[in-house]
Amino acid sequence: MLVIVVRAPLRISFVGGGTDLADFYRRSPGRVISTTIDKYVYVVINRTPLIDKVSARYSKSETAAHPSELEHTRIKAALLDLGIHKNIEIGSFATLPAKTGLGSSSSFSVALMKGLHAYQGKKINQQEAAEAASRLEIELVREPIGKQDQYAASFGGFNIIQFNPDESVEVRPVLLDYKKRLGLENHLLLFFTGITRAASSILTEQKSNIDKKFETLKEMAASVHEFSTRLLSADYKGLGGMLHQGWLKKKSLASNVSNSLIDDFYAAGMDHGAWGGKVLGAGGGGCVLFLAPPEKKNEIREAVRRVAQEKNLADFRELPVKFVQCGTEVLYNGDYHNRSFV
Amino acid sequence: MKQYIRNFSAKAEEALRNLPDEEIAKALNILQAAYERDGRIYVFGNGGSMAIATHWVADFNKTVFDSNLDKHHRRFQAIRLPSTESEITAWANDIGFDMIFAGPLQNYLQDSDAIIAISSSGNSSNVIKAVELAKARHVPVIGVSGFDAGNKLNQLADAKIYVPAETGNYFLVEGIHGVILHMMIKYFKDYFNHLADHSA
Repeated sequence: MLVIVVRAPLRISFVGGGTDLADFYRRSPGRVISTTIDKYVYVVINRTPLIDKVSARYSKSETAAHPSELEHTRIKAALLDLGIHKNIEIGSFATLPAKTGLGSSSSFSVALMKGLHAYQGKKINQQEAAEAASRLEIELVREPIGKQDQYAASFGGFNIIQFNPDESVEVRPVLLDYKKRLGLENHLLLFFTGITRAASSILTEQKSNIDKKFETLKEMAASVHEFSTRLLSADYKGLGGMLHQGWLKKKSLASNVSNSLIDDFYAAGMDHGAWGGKVLGAGGGGCVLFLAPPEKKNEIREAVRRVAQEKNLADFRELPVKFVQCGTEVLYNGDYHNRSFV
Repeated sequence: MKQYIRNFSAKAEEALRNLPDEEIAKALNILQAAYERDGRIYVFGNGGSMAIATHWVADFNKTVFDSNLDKHHRRFQAIRLPSTESEITAWANDIGFDMIFAGPLQNYLQDSDAIIAISSSGNSSNVIKAVELAKARHVPVIGVSGFDAGNKLNQLADAKIYVPAETGNYFLVEGIHGVILHMMIKYFKDYFNHLADHSA
């Protein structure tokens, strides 16, 4: 067995999204608060000493004589950058489809970089894996994205992540006991709208608006501390109110963050008792999150489901969520001939 | 006699009032994450600390779940190191006392694991050797130490559970270590009981 299995969790971000874009945090520190959840991306790396090719298995299956011929942009860029040119097969598996706004593409990148380093006999820590994934996506593949998701997936748990102008990133855990964690889970509803979208188109417009929206983004970064305080005091209603304010601000950042369909979903939840909520990810589709009194949850479920039915969203569904503490980990490393005992 | 007892308990009270709560919280998160990824927890120490490690493993693997053993299909996998007495003497006699923890740990350790190292001085060379092995593999380390905050284990650990006391007062430090480690057991017992009570 020469196989390496890496698992990376997806994440829910609460407030501060958008302040992790370089055009903002190079002028003023960016800050987000997020948590990882029990939905995962798995990367499996198979060393193939008898096959002098590279293969990538995802929604497509590719085999090439050299990584430069691969279509999968991240696998291609990572292999070229690390100088891995043959004898490898990389597969990816996931609990949920891509582009749901739960950060899955960056979770994939963190798992990929952690796994490829292990393939080369190197152990990298949480900070190094997050940096490697951010560099892969932002510098090598030139995605117009921020770097909150790479850090969220790599470290795991509830964290405040701060992006400094000098490119350094600080990750500070929010130390919640099980009662507060389960309490928040109990007040939370998460729906996949059935609409998938790539973050890049929305973030491109959002980036061009950073000058205009600079003060709004500064307020969003500042609100992270208040969110953390309310989280520690289990003020779920207050947290809901903050999500609502954050969502209104986020909608103002780019014309396509929301659309009439997303607005209908959101209004259905709010009209039936939710304290607040937001669309997860860059916007335009993906998942809608609500914080609500537990006794209102069924009513909100029904209302949101009616919207999905009216709009014929076949893939709409509720996603039950549990928070997890684990980050991106090598679950299994059977690549013994290249495994160092240190 | 009563005065002697009161003097000791006053010191114990002071230590308990100043428990490093943030570091203990980090340690609980490390254990939670190891559980979620099906990792193992290796626990070790010398002398009294080995006795604490053995006691903790017994409570943690079984007592945490025993109100609802049938409801929790995934359990903790805590292992005292070395897991047999024969290994202690084999490593000590054949290789050196420095290797009694690092030697066996090297055989087992996987990236998904975590370790708890217990040393009142925080400077026992065999404990530090095993901690350095874990650190080199980026396996999270919970360090349970005492006496001087500058001790090696406290410097190296990811969760720094340190009990201040005058050097040599093992009685106080080991007693407080026992309380902290038992609290960690109770935390998970309460957590898993809560989950069992609220699951359909």
